[in-house]
Amino acid sequence: MMDVFNWDGTVSAKDFRIGALSFAQKWESLNSAFPPWSWVPCPKHPWLASPELFQEEGYLSLENICISRPYEVDIDQNSQTDPGEEETSCSEKEDDIDDATLVQSNHHELHYCDFHIVYSYTFRVPVLYLRAYCSDGRPLLLDEIEKELPACSSKESPETKWAFITQEEHPYLKRPWYKLHPCGTSEFMKLLFLGGDTGQPKLEVVLELYLLSWFSAVGQVVGLRIPCKMLNDRR
Amino acid sequence: MAKEGSGSILQFAPFQSSVDEGFWHRLSSLKLNKFGIDDSPIPISGFFAPCSHPQVSNYLTLLAESLPSDSNEESSIPAFNRGNRNRCSVPGILYNTNTMESFHGLDKQGLLKAEAKKIWEDIHSGKVLEDSAVLSRFLLISFADLKKWSFHYWFAFPALILDPPATLVDLRPASQWFTLEEAESVSTACNEWRNSSVTADVPFFLVSVGSDSRAAVRHLKDWETCQDDGQKLLFAFYDPCHLPNNPGWPLRNFLAFICARWNLKTVHFLCYRENRGFADLSLSLVGEALITISQGWREHQCVPNAVGWELNKGRKVPRCINLAKSMDPTRLAISAADLNLKLMRWRALPSLNLDILFSIKCLLLGAGTLGCQVARMLMAWGVRKITLVDNGRVAMSNPLRQSLYTLDDCLNGGDFKATAAVRSLQRIFPAVVAEGVVMAIPMPGHPVSSQEENSVLEDCRRLNDLIGSHDVIFLLTDTRESRWLPTLLCANTNKITITAALGFDSFLVMRHGPGPFNSTPDLKVEMPNSLSDVLDNLALTNTDGKQRLGCYFCNDVVAPTDSTSNRTLDQQCTVTRPGLAPIASALAVELLVGILHHPYGIFAEAEIANSNNGGSSELPLGILPHQIRGSLPHFQQMTLVGHSSNSCTACCSTVVSEYRKRGMQFILQAINHPTFLEDLTGLTELMRSANTFQLDWDDEIEDADDECIEL
Repeated sequence: MMDVFNWDGTVSAKDFRIGALSFAQKWESLNSAFPPWSWVPCPKHPWLASPELFQEEGYLSLENICISRPYEVDIDQNSQTDPGEEETSCSEKEDDIDDATLVQSNHHELHYCDFHIVYSYTFRVPVLYLRAYCSDGRPLLLDEIEKELPACSSKESPETKWAFITQEEHPYLKRPWYKLHPCGTSEFMKLLFLGGDTGQPKLEVVLELYLLSWFSAVGQVVGLRIPCKMLNDRR
Repeated sequence: MAKEGSGSILQFAPFQSSVDEGFWHRLSSLKLNKFGIDDSPIPISGFFAPCSHPQVSNYLTLLAESLPSDSNEESSIPAFNRGNRNRCSVPGILYNTNTMESFHGLDKQGLLKAEAKKIWEDIHSGKVLEDSAVLSRFLLISFADLKKWSFHYWFAFPALILDPPATLVDLRPASQWFTLEEAESVSTACNEWRNSSVTADVPFFLVSVGSDSRAAVRHLKDWETCQDDGQKLLFAFYDPCHLPNNPGWPLRNFLAFICARWNLKTVHFLCYRENRGFADLSLSLVGEALITISQGWREHQCVPNAVGWELNKGRKVPRCINLAKSMDPTRLAISAADLNLKLMRWRALPSLNLDILFSIKCLLLGAGTLGCQVARMLMAWGVRKITLVDNGRVAMSNPLRQSLYTLDDCLNGGDFKATAAVRSLQRIFPAVVAEGVVMAIPMPGHPVSSQEENSVLEDCRRLNDLIGSHDVIFLLTDTRESRWLPTLLCANTNKITITAALGFDSFLVMRHGPGPFNSTPDLKVEMPNSLSDVLDNLALTNTDGKQRLGCYFCNDVVAPTDSTSNRTLDQQCTVTRPGLAPIASALAVELLVGILHHPYGIFAEAEIANSNNGGSSELPLGILPHQIRGSLPHFQQMTLVGHSSNSCTACCSTVVSEYRKRGMQFILQAINHPTFLEDLTGLTELMRSANTFQLDWDDEIEDADDECIEL
């Protein structure tokens, strides 16, 4: 068994899966401020026969998290209506509103974010993927996301200096998502476990707590904080 | 907060739509691969869930799974499963048109009526009792502009109009309507309903509370069995709306159904809402409505009117969403390239100046082995504006060594290299701003007849304009003399000039020093304020002073002449080891990036790689040499310094001031009279006096010979 000093800061796919499920469990029981993470399986080759060879891949998903502050946000003018639409549509003679329809004057435009924790086979570490959108589904661009999650772009604090957001194709959904680039992950994971003065942990312990520790650093960048009781819970 | 008093019209909060990006991706792909121009209506499914937040309503959502699945699709999209409590599925129909005109030309009234009719039929046929979600049937019209990646769309949530409208007798939070015991029982029963995969996505149901305060949740079809006296019976539905004084839109058709089916005039309803996955009876509302049925409702054939087109920020216009940034491959390529450079900056080179790389304009004279490679390397560094000048055509042997060309470019006599190269660059990176100029560079020692004079002068002027309108010039041609005129023009305007030249197994890459005059340095490179002092100093001390770094011709003792005729065939074709061009080109571009990041730019002093500064230089990109000479047989590379010469035929002050005085006539003279430049610069004089020194002359001759023949 490799000892913790030779550890390079990475995890195997199998350890990731085990850690992910245990992380999700802990989160659900101890973090009531947020909905639970769910594991989304991605069967790779469902037509391959033998179940022993069949290793379940998947990712953790936390979706529809509101990232806006709870006040009414001004609707930006350049997104929705095409000025050319005006002429043809207003010629509707029929009244689309009847007395029984409530007409609301204020328009809340809230922004939501989906988070996926996906395993990277290249870097052998978990990667946080995210995408954000308005309440009507319009996707947000990086600069809009950075406005809501200011820690994304700040390079000041030690956690966020590892944060670099890049756009890449989601490995399973095949669409562009944003992700926190994983090239620094193994280094800061090593530091997290070996840099402290809490003595030398056993490698099994390290791997068990891997996802939790990883997320405690990475989550801060996107505004998802782990409550202390989750970190302290050693069950 | 209770709302009492009869007579107020019951007002419903309209349904709101939310379309996930994945829906548009999938629709685009289906349109391109399957539907083509077929615009028949497509059955789709929408998803919603009861309100789960006291301040935010839920939406009717469309996802990638909303579109029908296709067995041919190699998709990562699973078909949705029924029984998902957060995704109650609702049937809908999509009319996707092929043009903007037909989108605006759709008969919206007619379409809405058609959907309303379907709901009406389902009410009367009893379908609602089996699958109540059909009460919330919806309509979507769209136009997908797959060239601009923008999607125009408009939802309608058809609601049968009650005429006269229903009036509200009472509306209050459910926790205030039930007793404490009843409330608890109702919560439990609802949570069970929500947790069972059989009923979790059934959005309309009955809640009956007995006199023993025990509640039961039943399907609509069990209505007859719930007719006990002493039982409170509520018509419940998943309410997406969060408002405390209004029920959500699904109640409209629900009331229409109740009235038409069971002929009730008073309806007690429960707007079921949740919080954190559990029934929330303080958010949920219980209300009492009065319905007056008009005659028309008894007749099945008479479909009531309907409303329901969704407003867009209060206006009756469709919505539009532009997804070019995430769907247009060119945009994606740009974004990926940018992020890649930013990643480099973040990880390794914090002082990398990306703005300057993105904005700089590079002129490449020559689109052969060197030109193709330099162009590719420039793009890799983020340079987007590249102009290539070459008057040749792509020959059959070219694609092997000239990395922008393929066999197709050679056919039918061969395309012009300049145009083929630009095409190739655009295929690699569509956002590049590349231009090809088919033009020969006038050369000294290749005299022109008087008929050709005008066109040669025209070429000179054109070359001058090109140089003037770019920031960096690469001299990548295959003869020595073709570099003369560009060198002079660049020295005259102090443009960053980089030369790459190949021998059979050796190469030279160098940056030219600044020109002899610094009066109006047309420097595009960012410079600190102190540079103006530096410039002043240079102007005072340096016309051809030794501080100025030399150009390609500074070391020559003979003027550039015709080197191509009178050579044997193998000397006429430039033959080089294939590895040289990529190496030299790469070094040329890296040298440029070094110049751009040096605070003094073109005025930077030369540095030599030696053990003193081994590895760590002051600048993050490393040292900035003047010349790099490499030799493949030794796998060796040296950095050298050469200062400018008073007698340089291209950049000395004599030559440049003659050019400034006489312009194109001077050029013409140099082209037509081989010894003119030597006379002018005093090289002739130099050679005559050198003849008297036997010993020194031998050494110099050898170098001169090397210069003339090899490069």
